[in-house]
Amino acid sequence: MTGAAAGLVDRVRGVQLSGLATVAMLVVAVAVNSALQPNFWDSYALTSNFATFVPLVAIAVGQTIVVLSGGLDLSLGAQVTLASVVAVQVVDGSLDRFPLAVAAALGVGLACGALNGLVVALLRLQPIVATFATSFVFSGLALVVLPTPGGSVPFEITTAYRDSVLGVPVALLLIVALALVWLVLRRHRVLRHVYAVGGDADAAYASLVPVARTRVWAYVLGGLFAALSALAILANTGSGDPFVGNELTLASVAAVVIGGTALAGGRGGAGGSVLGAIVLALVTNIIFFADVPTDYRQLVNGAVIILALALAGIPALQKRRPSA
Amino acid sequence: MSTPLLEMSGVRKRYGGVQALDGAELTAVRGEVHALLGPNGSGKSTLDKTLAGTVVPDAGTIRIDGAEARIGGPRDAHALGVAAVYQQLSIVGDLTVTQNVVLGLEPARRFGFLDQRAARDRAGAALERFTAAFAGRLPLDRPASALGPGERQIVEVAKALARRPRILVLDEATASLHKEQVDVLFDVVRELRADGVLVLFTSHRLDEVFALCDRATVLRNGRTAGTVELAATDEDELVRLMVGDAPHQAPRAARAGAAGAGSAAEGPVSSPAATLEVRGLTTDRLRDVSFTVRSGEVLGLGGLQGQGQSELLLALFGGAHVGAGEAVLDGRPLPLSSPVKAARAGVALVPGDRGRQGMFAVRPIQENLSLASMHRRATARLALRGAAERGAATAMVERLRIKIGSLADPVSTLSGGNQQKVVIGKWLLDRPRVVLLDDPTKGVDVAAKEEIYAIVRGLADDGAVVILNSSDNRELTELSDRVLVVFEGTVVEELDAEAISERRLISSALRLGPGETL
Amino acid sequence: MSTPVVDTPRRGLTAWRPGPVALAGTVAVALVIAGEIVSPGFAGYGQLVNLMRVAAFLGVIAIGQTIVIIAGGGGVDLSVGKVATFSAIIGSRVMAGDDANIVPAVALALLVAAAIGLVNGLGVTLLRIPPFVMTLGMIGVVQGLILAYTGGQAEGRAAPALTSLVNGRVILDLPGLLFLWLLLGLLAVWLLRRTTFGWSLFAVGANRTAAELTGVRVNRTLILAYVLSATFAGLAGILLLGYTESVFLDLADQYMLPSVAAVVIGGTLLAGGIGGYAGTAVGAIVLTVLQGLLTTLDIGGAWRTVVNGVVLLVLLSLYGRQRRLRS
Ligand SMILES: Nc1ncnc2c1ncn2[C@@H]1O[C@H](COP(=O)(O)OP(=O)(O)O)[C@@H](O)[C@H]1O
Ligand SMILES: [Mg+2]
Repeated sequence: MTGAAAGLVDRVRGVQLSGLATVAMLVVAVAVNSALQPNFWDSYALTSNFATFVPLVAIAVGQTIVVLSGGLDLSLGAQVTLASVVAVQVVDGSLDRFPLAVAAALGVGLACGALNGLVVALLRLQPIVATFATSFVFSGLALVVLPTPGGSVPFEITTAYRDSVLGVPVALLLIVALALVWLVLRRHRVLRHVYAVGGDADAAYASLVPVARTRVWAYVLGGLFAALSALAILANTGSGDPFVGNELTLASVAAVVIGGTALAGGRGGAGGSVLGAIVLALVTNIIFFADVPTDYRQLVNGAVIILALALAGIPALQKRRPSA
Repeated sequence: MSTPLLEMSGVRKRYGGVQALDGAELTAVRGEVHALLGPNGSGKSTLDKTLAGTVVPDAGTIRIDGAEARIGGPRDAHALGVAAVYQQLSIVGDLTVTQNVVLGLEPARRFGFLDQRAARDRAGAALERFTAAFAGRLPLDRPASALGPGERQIVEVAKALARRPRILVLDEATASLHKEQVDVLFDVVRELRADGVLVLFTSHRLDEVFALCDRATVLRNGRTAGTVELAATDEDELVRLMVGDAPHQAPRAARAGAAGAGSAAEGPVSSPAATLEVRGLTTDRLRDVSFTVRSGEVLGLGGLQGQGQSELLLALFGGAHVGAGEAVLDGRPLPLSSPVKAARAGVALVPGDRGRQGMFAVRPIQENLSLASMHRRATARLALRGAAERGAATAMVERLRIKIGSLADPVSTLSGGNQQKVVIGKWLLDRPRVVLLDDPTKGVDVAAKEEIYAIVRGLADDGAVVILNSSDNRELTELSDRVLVVFEGTVVEELDAEAISERRLISSALRLGPGETL
Repeated sequence: MSTPVVDTPRRGLTAWRPGPVALAGTVAVALVIAGEIVSPGFAGYGQLVNLMRVAAFLGVIAIGQTIVIIAGGGGVDLSVGKVATFSAIIGSRVMAGDDANIVPAVALALLVAAAIGLVNGLGVTLLRIPPFVMTLGMIGVVQGLILAYTGGQAEGRAAPALTSLVNGRVILDLPGLLFLWLLLGLLAVWLLRRTTFGWSLFAVGANRTAAELTGVRVNRTLILAYVLSATFAGLAGILLLGYTESVFLDLADQYMLPSVAAVVIGGTLLAGGIGGYAGTAVGAIVLTVLQGLLTTLDIGGAWRTVVNGVVLLVLLSLYGRQRRLRS
């Protein structure tokens, strides 16, 4: 009993230590935002805010899994784009075809993830460069599928997406659902192996973990979450855009970092990334409501992302010694 | 005896310029505890790994139960009933103890969802015998990174045991264990033996080998030097198998006068009065280390390997975080804060892991030699002159008799001994006043070894302060004027010239094992 | 005396095979021949000079890319395209079409570029942000800087002297740009092969730990690499300004991927420690000829992006493999 209790204390402390900074950032972001945005707590504002959060939350969960496996997927944004334009072409304004569109988006995510996984795990290319290259393939294909913004999503979907159930925005429920999916996945052997491979691939290999297969899985899961992100974007905007995912890749990495997952792999979780994504989205909001001149918005946004990434590097400052 | 359970023959493995295994043989039977012995770098771990599937040998056959085993990876080895405790543990620090013990073979319910309770039970059962090591409470849910070295070692052992092997490899599994834990491990191993399991046991502590093992196979330079029944063998015999019957040489101290006279003609490199004084040096791995070395002296570092010798050299070179203490060279404090400053102050380090720390494998020999000293020859510290660099490198190649094709060849094309000479040579071009050598002849063939010895002697004779760590006791005997025996990060004994001998070094190192008195 | 050493250098693995530079050169020639077959006139003198001119901008941007990639540790600079754009924008605004302003304009543009490189270098070394992520993030920041600086409207004009330096025909009817490229290329080769910086850079890329333990100033070398990368990108931006005379807000953005690809095609190892500029220059030519060929084949924007991605992937799998877990 005492052993279990000690373990629990350890676990809670572990969560607090890494999660405290994330939660603090979230609190600050919410406080600043509610001060600046006049009706931040109104249900309409809440609903539309959450509606814009979902895509980033979904892609951040996917990026988390890839990062945990010791990789990085710079093609996730392009995958979101590709999945969204394929889905919008499939659905073509008809509610009947929506399930088909969902399947198509997931299929795209699966295929893109599998390609990345194969390239990284079997060809043994550096994940960062390999996914960088595939991102061009995916975004090129997206332009082929939908050369200019267009296509339409049935209004039932966009309406439902911005609706609320018993006063709770649907978008918030979707975020909760994403977090639940993560919790379920975490109890699966594949995720355990993802952590092991990201933590120490050599040790995992020696311990009978199928390292290559695990890496492929990580990218496939990343692709599937990118597909979910694409569907959320479509539901939010109502139409397709062949450039929509461009900004999401880096934001997803930043969300992962803010959420306390180590870019080196093996340590962290998607719970933090969900909060990190919300923090980032709030920052965009804040920049908007703080009357930052339009011309400076992107600069501030970029600077915030770099600062967030830098936060992850600060612990490294304390122990910078040759790894000899 | 019937068919042996395990027969390994003609196993060869080459790493770049190092022939780690050169036709090693090993035969062992069911219900045996078989020691695998040999000096550092003789290939024990590599042989273990070929059996466990993490290293694929270049050649050789492995038979298990008389049938040829094709081991292409750890999963093949597992299917054949092999489990290993690796010298470099296969523990993932970010996973909990339970997760580590069941890693790769997690009990699962339907669709691959984890059965956490079964995992805990399995881990608990595997660790139960060692409960005492964890202050009576198994840390099943703690991350492995939060454990001490001995505790991690036990988790690694438990993980191998949980795989219920027919063949269990224990590579230096006792090195970081305390006496009581070693006793528990030995009980477990004896039970396994009674159940017909073959245990391959590697340890530097010969007393453990005699206490536990039935037979021993000794490796030397990647080859099997012999297999002996331990009941009919004594320590002397084992040491002789490990070291070989090379003629015994007098310690360097006894010849010091003659050698010094011979090289005086070349002119001293530094002022003869140089003295290095180390006071109270303390780091993560070192405790209050103090000693003095005079110029022209070779100070050896002995003891069991991994007791902090390498850290001491690294710390003197500014490569470790120094918590307290100082080093003074000729009355001036040595900067211990960065390798760059140490190098500028005239300190040179020939590191222990040549591949990782010493050389730039893919770069030309020329650059490898020039790098430490090129700023001295460059115009405005920037522009290099090809002729000057080639001249300096060629001079060093000739002086150290490095066998090369062309200066433009990558240094990885050289043999281990010549690679090591390049690493030494880059520092000699910088005219160091203090030379730190960490196991400089590891993985080096016999002839090159002798040449490196000559270089080390020459350095001292030219007036440098030389500190030499070596896992090879004969090397320490031949080269050192004095030896400091290091144990758990601190100097526990000083052997002067008369006291240095291989036997004395081995016994000094071994007698200090935990639970034993001096 | 000890016996002579008996071991000989082992050269079995380094037996002759075509080096990447030769390989890339062959590919370039093959592409030109293919172009000539598909569309006669493709390999005409005027056409080839034109292709070389287009290749020159990529070639100059890729100098810095070569340097950071050689530095290893995942080193890469994705911000080169944006930095080149920004530099051209600053240059054009300060020059305002007047020769008298050339020096301050170029100086300011290069200074700003170098400062951006410095931030990249500090982020990568001190804060240990992976270079890909750091420089990708820097794209957003520089884009923000561009918007803030221009207010969304690019102004100014190249000074006539700059234009005639870049576009004016010197000898053999070759534009001055090609000679500038040659000059900068020689500078790059000298920097890499005949300076302490270059040798330190290769050492850091080949083995960072060993470099540190050899007394190489690792962080200083890395930071300098990023500063140089941004500076060469800035220089390319100025050249591009001379060529186009006026700027637009995404002038050089599209050079990001090709600059990496040119380096990889030229045989510089993405893992660091091996490579050189000659290969990169050939790589820039290969890519430019490939683009010319795609244009000739009427393969447009979207598919071209796909083809470029696939080409990069194929090249990576030829040169950029990582070690196996099983040794
Ligand atoms: N992964 C590796 N890369 C390069 N050299 C290696 C590697 N592993 C072992 N070696 C070399 O092979 C030789 C044998 O090493 P090892 O099997 O670890 O010896 P032991 O366990 O007997 O001390 C040593 O010279 C060592 O430096
Ligand atoms: Mg070993």
